[in-house]
Order: sequence, then C-alpha cells, then structure tokens
Amino acid sequence: MKPAAVDYVRPADLAAACSLLAEAGDAAMPVSGGQSLIPMMSLRLTGFETLVDISRIAALKRTETDATHVVIGAATTHAAIEDGAIPDPSHGLMARIAGRIAYRAVRNLGTIGGSVALADPAADWPCCLLALGADILLAGPDGARTLPADGFFLGPYETARAPAEIITGFRIPRLAEGARWGTSKVARKSGAFSDSLAVAILLPDGGGRIALTGTSSHPRLLPAAGAALAARDSAALRATVKAELAALGEDADPYRARCHLATVTRAAEEAWSA
Amino acid sequence: MSADADTQGWVGVRLLRKEDRRHLLGASTFTADVRVPGLLEVAFVRSQFAHGRLGAVAKPDGARVFSAEDFPHLKPIDGGPELPSFRAAPYHAFARDKVHFVGQIVAACLAPTRAQAEDLADQVGVEVDALPAVVDTVEALAPGAAILHDGFPDNAFIHATVTEGDIAAVAAAAPVALRRTFRMNRQATVSLEGRGVLAYWDHRLDELVVTLSTQGAHVMRIGLAMALGLPEHKLHLIAPDVGGGFGGKNRLMPEEVAVCALALKTGRPVRWIEDRREHLMASVHCREHHYDITLYATREGRLLGLKGEVHIDAGAYSLWPSGPFMEASMAARNLPGPYQMQALHVETHTVATSKAPMGPYRGVARPGACFAIERAVDELAHAIGMEPAEVRRINLVGPHQMPYRTIGGMQLDSGDYPQALERVREMVDLAALRRRQQAGEDDGRRIGVGFAVYTEQSGHGAAEWTKRKSRIVPGYESATARMLPDGTLLLLVGIQNHGQGLETSLAQIAAQELSLDPHAISVRYGDTALTPFGFGTFASRSIVFSGGAVARATRALADKARRIGAHLLQADVADTRLADGAVHGPNGKVSLAEIARAANVRQEFLPAGMPPLLDETATYEPEESGGFFSYGAHAAVVAVDPETGVTTTLDYAIAEDCGTMINPMIVDGQIIGGVAQGIGTALYEEIPYDADGQPLATTFGDYMVPCAPELPALRIHHLVTPAHGTEYGVKGMGEGGAIAPPAAIANAVSDALRDFGARIWETPLTPRRVSDAVAAACGDRSEDAV
Amino acid sequence: MTAITLTLNGDRVREEVEPRDILADLLRDRLRLTGTHLGCEHGACGACTVTLDGLPVRSCIVLAVMCDGRTVETIEGTRADATMDVIRRHFHEQHALQCGFCTPGMLIAARDIIARHTRPDEATVRRELSGQVCRCTGYMGIVAAIRAAAAELHPAPGADLRTPDLSTS
Repeated sequence: MKPAAVDYVRPADLAAACSLLAEAGDAAMPVSGGQSLIPMMSLRLTGFETLVDISRIAALKRTETDATHVVIGAATTHAAIEDGAIPDPSHGLMARIAGRIAYRAVRNLGTIGGSVALADPAADWPCCLLALGADILLAGPDGARTLPADGFFLGPYETARAPAEIITGFRIPRLAEGARWGTSKVARKSGAFSDSLAVAILLPDGGGRIALTGTSSHPRLLPAAGAALAARDSAALRATVKAELAALGEDADPYRARCHLATVTRAAEEAWSA
Repeated sequence: MSADADTQGWVGVRLLRKEDRRHLLGASTFTADVRVPGLLEVAFVRSQFAHGRLGAVAKPDGARVFSAEDFPHLKPIDGGPELPSFRAAPYHAFARDKVHFVGQIVAACLAPTRAQAEDLADQVGVEVDALPAVVDTVEALAPGAAILHDGFPDNAFIHATVTEGDIAAVAAAAPVALRRTFRMNRQATVSLEGRGVLAYWDHRLDELVVTLSTQGAHVMRIGLAMALGLPEHKLHLIAPDVGGGFGGKNRLMPEEVAVCALALKTGRPVRWIEDRREHLMASVHCREHHYDITLYATREGRLLGLKGEVHIDAGAYSLWPSGPFMEASMAARNLPGPYQMQALHVETHTVATSKAPMGPYRGVARPGACFAIERAVDELAHAIGMEPAEVRRINLVGPHQMPYRTIGGMQLDSGDYPQALERVREMVDLAALRRRQQAGEDDGRRIGVGFAVYTEQSGHGAAEWTKRKSRIVPGYESATARMLPDGTLLLLVGIQNHGQGLETSLAQIAAQELSLDPHAISVRYGDTALTPFGFGTFASRSIVFSGGAVARATRALADKARRIGAHLLQADVADTRLADGAVHGPNGKVSLAEIARAANVRQEFLPAGMPPLLDETATYEPEESGGFFSYGAHAAVVAVDPETGVTTTLDYAIAEDCGTMINPMIVDGQIIGGVAQGIGTALYEEIPYDADGQPLATTFGDYMVPCAPELPALRIHHLVTPAHGTEYGVKGMGEGGAIAPPAAIANAVSDALRDFGARIWETPLTPRRVSDAVAAACGDRSEDAV
Repeated sequence: MTAITLTLNGDRVREEVEPRDILADLLRDRLRLTGTHLGCEHGACGACTVTLDGLPVRSCIVLAVMCDGRTVETIEGTRADATMDVIRRHFHEQHALQCGFCTPGMLIAARDIIARHTRPDEATVRRELSGQVCRCTGYMGIVAAIRAAAAELHPAPGADLRTPDLSTS
C-alpha cells in the first residue's frame, strides 16, 4: 500500500500554482493537508502525475474580518477551527463541526479547503458552509471569482471548481446576534464518515436554514424544512422534511431517510433549545 | 512492586509487566523492524476474481516476478482433520489452474522497496476466465449452486452430526418449541500488527532463517518444512515481538511459504509485510456462522433439548494444520452452553465459499454458539412471559452437580455458575433497570438489558485434540529452567507471548518456586534454535501448560539446589527449605547464587557423584486432558435509538471465574481486551461480500474497529474456584471475554426494542440493521418508533 | 529525487527522497527509527503518530517531501522527555499496553491530550482517543493512565506534587 511514482512541485505563490495547474490539466493535483489525498495515493486510486504542493502558500492561510463577514483561508486546518484559533463567524458551530471530523491527528493537517474541494458526499464542511450561507473564493488562471456554496456542489466528488482553479478561502457571513444553531450526526463509529449530518440555523428574524449531508449525491439545503424551523414544531418539521426528501429523491434508501429525519429533527431541537 | 510477595510468594500478585519497558520506549522489535542488507521486498499480485480459471500470467521483461510455474516443487499447504469424510482441496502458495477468492496469491514481485515492488505488480497481467462466485453460506449447498472445487459433490468440506439423547422423544413431548435463525457475520482478526515474513539463507549456519509474526514458531516450522521440502534442521524460525494475533497468526499461510521459496530461489533476503488491505482481504477470516435452531422447553422455562442446523462459512480452503472443521464441531458441542438439557441434535455443514479461508479467532466458534443459544433463551423467556435471567437461573448447571457432563459432551469441572449470574444481575441492578424501562427515556431512546453466560474450555490436551482428529496434537508444553552461575535464571519456553504478559506471569511462577525475585528471571520464547519444542500460544492454553511446565522445571531445579545447599550447609536435605533466594538449614543459609556458582563453575563443592549444572527441562500435561472450564456471566445495558438504530453501551458487568489468578492485573487486561473485541463483533466489525464475491470492507474506512469512545468502562467481579488438577489451580482465560458480548449486547438491544417486536438475529448490530429491524417490525407504523 | 532537511528528534537530517515517499517509511526504513509503527497505512489506526512542528500527525499519510524544513519528533525522541516519562510510568502502572504495537502512537497522542486538556475527564479522554486503535487492552488502562498522568502533571491547587520517577521498569 505505497503510492505510485509522482512528480512534485512547490510553487511559490498562488499565481504560479494556478498556472502550473492550467498547464498540466488533469495530470496535476493540488495538495495541502493531504489527509484524504495521500491515503488514496497509497491505495493507488489516483491517476495524476504531478502533485502541486500549495500547503505553504501564505495567501491560503489569511483570515480577514469585517463587520459582516469572516474570510478564512482554505489552508486553515480543522484543528485550528476546533480550537478557536481563528475568528469565528458562527457562534461556535464551526468549532463543533471541526471537532468531529475524523481524528485529532488528521485534523492537525487536514484543511477546510481540501475537504470542500474533494466534496465527499458524506463530508462535514460542505454541509456546514451551505447552512452558513458561505461563499467559496476561487483563484484561477483568469483571476479570482466567488461562488455561493449553494450550487457549488454538483455531485459526489464533483464541484463547480474548474480544474485549474484553487479554492483560496471562504467568506462566511457572521451569524446574527441571537441566531441559534444545532447539529446532529449519525455515523457507524466516532470519526467515521456520516450516514447523515444535519446543520440547522434559526435566525432571530424567524428565517432558518437546514443543510444535510450523507445524501446520495451532494450536500443539500432543505429550503422547506428551513422555513419550517421557526414554528418550533417537531412533528410538523418531520412531515416537511419527509416530503422534501421524497421530492429530492433522497428517500430511496429507507435507512438513510430515517437517519436524515432524525438528524434534521435533532439539529432543529438543539437550535430551539439553545 | 509488591510488598506481599515476601510473605505470600509471587503467585497471585499484581506484578507490573516485565515486557512493558521496551514498548514504552519505542524500542521493541517487531518483524517489520528487522532489516538485513540486500533485502528485497515483496508485493503480491492477487486475484481480483472470486472464482475462475487461471490463464496466462504476463510478467514484465527482466523483472523479478514469480508465479506458480516458477515453483513446481512446492507442496500444497491445506490442512484439516484426519477424517475420511473431510474433503481436501489443495491449497498452493501460488494459485495453480484456478483462483477461489479475491485476494488469492497469483504472483510475487520483488524489488528493493515495497513501492517499487507494487509498481511491478501493476504491470503484471493475469488472465482469468471468471466462474460464478459462491457467496451465501446456506445457498452454497442448495441444489444447482455453482461448485467451487473440482471434484466436490457439493460445496461442503464436511457434513457431520452431533447427537446425544433422544431428540425425537423430547420434541414430541415438549410443551414449547421455539425455532429461530441467527447469523454471525464474517470478520477479520485484525491484530494491529499485520502478518509479516523475512527469510534469508544464513551461510554460516547453513539454514534458512525465517523471522515471522506467528503465535507458534515450532509448529510453523513443521508446516514450512513440509511445504518447502526442507529438513527441519535447515529451518530456523524466529518470532520476535508479535503485535497481537488472536488466532490469526496461528495458521500456515501462503505468504509465509512464498517468501521462503522466493528467498531460496533468488538467494536474496526477502520480506513481505502485510498491509491492512491484504489483511482484511486475504488474511485469516473468522466467525460467519448460520444457525437454524429449535429450542424445546416447558412452559415454566425448563430447557429440554435443542435441535438444529449449523452452517459454517469456511471460505475457499482448509488452512493447515487444523482446517475449519473444529469450528463446526465446537459450535455444535457448545450450543447447549452451561445449561442442563436432555437431548441435542445438530447437523453441521462446513461450507466452501469463494471467500478468504477461515481460521481461528479469539473464542473460536463459541461466540457464535453463545450468541445462538443465549438469544434463543431470551426469545423463549419472552414467549413464555418470564424474566430472561430467571430462565437462565433455573437451567444453569449448579455447583453441587460438578463435575457435570453437558449434553454437548463438555466436562464442566468446577465452579458456581448461578452465582456468577446472580452477581452480574446485582451489578447492573436488574430491578432498577426494569423500573427505568417503564419510566422511559427523555431523549426517545430505549434502554435494554441483556445477559449471557458462557464457558471457556481451556488447557485441553491430548484427549480433546485427538477427539477433534487434529493432525497436530498440542497436548503438552515444555520449559527449560537454566540457572546461570550468578544465580539468575533463564526460562526457555515453547509458547509465544504476543501481548498476554507471559514474560511476567511465567516469571512469577518461577519466582514462586525458586523464591527468586522476578527481576532475576529472563523469559525467552519464539526462537526454534533456542527453546524446547512447544505449540505456541492459542486456545487459552499457555498458563495451564506452559505455567505447568515452568512449575515442574523450576521445582526440579529447586530440588537440586536444595540438595547442593544441604551439602554446602552440611545438613540433611529434609531439614532444609528454600526461601528468600537461599537454602536455609538448621545452622545457616546459602544463597542460590552460591549454589549456582558451585553447580556451574566450582564443581568441587558439589556432592560426590552429582552431575553439574542447574538446568532442567520438563514437560507438562494435566492428568485430565479434556480441559478446564473458565466461565462467567456478562450483563450489558444499552440505549438504542429506534429510528437511526444507533446503539450505545451504557454499562457492562462481568462476573467470571478462571480459577487461581497468577497475576490479577493481567487477567483483568485479558478480560477487558476480550470484551472489547466481543463488542466489536456485536456492533461494528464485518466483511460483507457482494454477489460477485468482492469483499466490501478492505480498509478501516469500511471495517469498523471499536475505539475508546465506542467502548464502556467495564466492571469485573471475580469468583475464584481453583481448578482441581492444574498447577496452582489455574484455568486458561484468554478468550472468554470475547465469547459472551455478542449475545449479551444482542439480548440487550432486543430487550430495548421489545415493544416494537424488532427481530435481532444477526451481528454486527449496525445502525442500519437495527433501524431496519424496527422499521420492518413496525411496518406502516414506523413513525411510532420515534 | 528531492533533497529535504528535517529537524528530527533534535538533529538536523538531510535526505534524498522520492516525492512519493511516505514520512513513516523514511523514518522506519531509511533512518531506522522503527518505534513508529505502521498499522493501517491509511491514517485510520494511529500507530504511526509522530509530531510535526509539535502537532501529532499520522506519519503514514504525510509525504516526506512536504516535511522539508520542518521539525519531526518520533517516540525515540521522547526518551529524555520528563513529561513523557510520567505518562510512560502511568501506562506501565495501569496496564495500558499488551502487545505494545499501538503504544508509541498512543503515547504521542496521550501527551497531546494532556497538553490541551490539562485534567481531562474520562469522556474527554475517550473522545480524544478516537482513531487511536488498540486491539488488546479495551482502552480502560490507557484511559486510566492518561487521567492519572494528567493529574500528576497538572495537580489541582493544593495537591501534593510527586517527583516523577523517570524509570520505566
């Protein structure tokens, strides 16, 4: 279980990294924490020829804050978020999510940007960022662009990121004062990928957002369920979620559908009780 | 370490382990840590097909790539019982003609690094003409099923019946007959250190030196010599530190043969270190039993008899030496458990499927049998409206009945089984739990409690192994006790410590006999050139057999030391005693160091005619070789989420009796570790196969090994009934912890979900299985589950 | 091949590596630091845990080339670490190891848990140990050892300070 031979470059900055990726196309792969990529290399499940090490690019580690948003760099590790080492727009939600990803030694290297770029359908961050209404910041050979998280995830391991683009960070709106959140996860054991993960956010103006992962395709917002959050009625919420899952075709696996019902309900209940 | 030792001796003392220091410093030596110059690493090319005819193997030009055609003289390594009804299929280290499971070795690639060897493996082309996979254990015997092995009339290695008493009469008269099916799914043994082999020809010694991770180097030498066609004195096997085994390192495997053959063929040192994917795909697999049993009983809960059919999924081949048949016979004979009943009739089928071959794993067969009988007892209790613990109590063999031969033919020797059950019932406070269940939980989860009682045959010798028709009969152990000139002691033993603390426990026994400090004793094992012959460590046998051999050898050494001491003290031997590391006489004492000096290097001080040296070798087998039964009762308390099926173990209590404990700390460690593995079987660990025979859990991403958050703090109560007929009254106990948890946990989950009528019949109880069971029971009412 | 330099257990080390070389293989096979064990090679068992710039990481899923210029500490590098000696002694006293294969990674994780949580309760220790697989002990001794070591290393105000016994036998 050892990786196949590969070339390695460590570009000095973002522009160099993007042009390397643009030249190489599918043959190049950016790596930062490598905590998902390197195991796949060892299992010889990857096909690229060149690793582009972006782990030391300073631009990916910046954090910026203003009155309404926090920007965190893509190379921010799960552990840094877990420990509150960077500004938190989420009243603790992101620290809670981070602390349940894989294992601590993995969180010390694994990055939020890598998780979003891989877009494993059971991953935690895509779901959380959807719920928070975050934007995804990208840099490419043609410059920078910003995409909302909603719409960024297209399928299992498939996103709107172009092959030569690098996720540079996330622009996350600060949760309003008085906003409440809850989250719930079902997994076969601690640290395992989730069968279902829900994040619920109840805004003080009565609005709400619910995001769900562990789905058959990619993490999703459940708009109807989110709208039902303010009513604080578990039974009504369950009915809404059930209908919404059916509409999305996410009820094909009855077990997963039960898990989704449970995690959404519990996330909502935690938000209500917070 | 222990202030008690001076007055009470070393047996029974919580002595901290001698083997810890090297591990804590990161200075231990496992097989993969051994390196010799010029080493070549092996990557195996393995079959990607579950079943098929093997065509050409295309090898890259000029590379060191080898397959069956390169080793025409290697002998197959299949094993099995010496029974004419047992069908053998030849198991070649490199597949010939056909492949029979995904992961079977087709070719070996050698290169200076493992990565380079894997590069070569990627270039090897293997032609396979695929045939239908044989996957389902029971359907494999159905008419029309594809036949795995050419020449087999059906897919069974053997069919056999275990019968005692008049089951027809019992069935005809029994007021209650309860039929249930149960399944315990397939697992791997998952020692944290995988297997590994390093082999090279040592020209000075003119022998093949083989370093390997095994539970028994001496027995493996027999198998390797047979496969390679080498005389045994040309094979020197060394098992250094071994990172767990649990049964999985106690069979001769093709990789071991292949690596030796590659070293002989290339003249280079060659090693293979198993990776985790290989371990999960192609190392020893285990469990996978299917039970269809009918329990006969009275309406008052008295058990009358058991009839049933057991299918054991043995995988594609029968591993040397014992093969998979032991699994079936032990499952059948242990099905009555510790209960009294009048008749037993079990048809067993040891089935060949296109999966990795089955071998032993901690508990061997008994976790499945215990799961089946204990689940059935709970189902019976529910059917007749009794408390399950009460049904157990009235059927358990009582202390006044000992020794008691069960209807399965197990000779239970001693102990108080009902007492163990009563203890765990108190420990979890059954009455309070029943009240809590009635009150319900605030969070919607359901609480359940489950019990299981088990027995653990240990220290069984020739009588038992010959009854099993084993081609190796591990009926004794041997030990050499050698006192060095300064009075320190070398113990050479044939067992293989691989985590059990035997360096410490055996030193305690020697220290007890010689009144030496354990720190003055070194224990050596795992080297065929160094230690007397022994069978290794498995089957809960080492403390009984090797402990006994150490006691005998050191006792003989002590006798001789006393005779020398008496001579030096000019006293009569009868007036001397050994204490505090010295021989004491009426007029003084002489230290063992002085005695050892005389015996080794100053023979003029020896009694006339006494041969020099303090060097004694002894073998040991208990007179009664049917085994000594440790036993215990486990109680599990779980909380189950009926919607998601997530189960949490809230409390786990154990009352057990393994006779005299040489080192209670080590005993507790074995129990806790065993239960952790048992909970793994109950809730987490599984290697499913798809319909094409592809294994679906080949990394730890899919194969769930329980970690600290998954496991509860256990509570242990010891009953101590010293065994009659072993040294110090010990019984083996290494496996017991793993036997009862699947039954206790499954009973607890079933108890928790009783209101729904969910059918809990199959391990592991994954969230999906439990959630599906609740949904299936509720049908359209599944919303009620919440 | 690429030249890298590491500060390894306090020493400057210069090695030529292939980009695909895994840090654990460099440590074990080239630098002969075999206390770092490989139990899964895909980051799921924790036996290979070392520290990289002071943080525990899985050396089986780290590329050596990416460690250029960084500081690595393996279990061998902790032999003179007084904190680790306290943890080792409690592992010994609490029977926190059996076969010993998981032990080096477990110790590195344990030291980090104590550093971050000071005096962790049982649930915290268990949660933090997720992903450190021990197949032998059932974790009870490990959890007890970490808690006992934490209590000794971070005594509650007014508690007796024990002098660490640096021996591990």
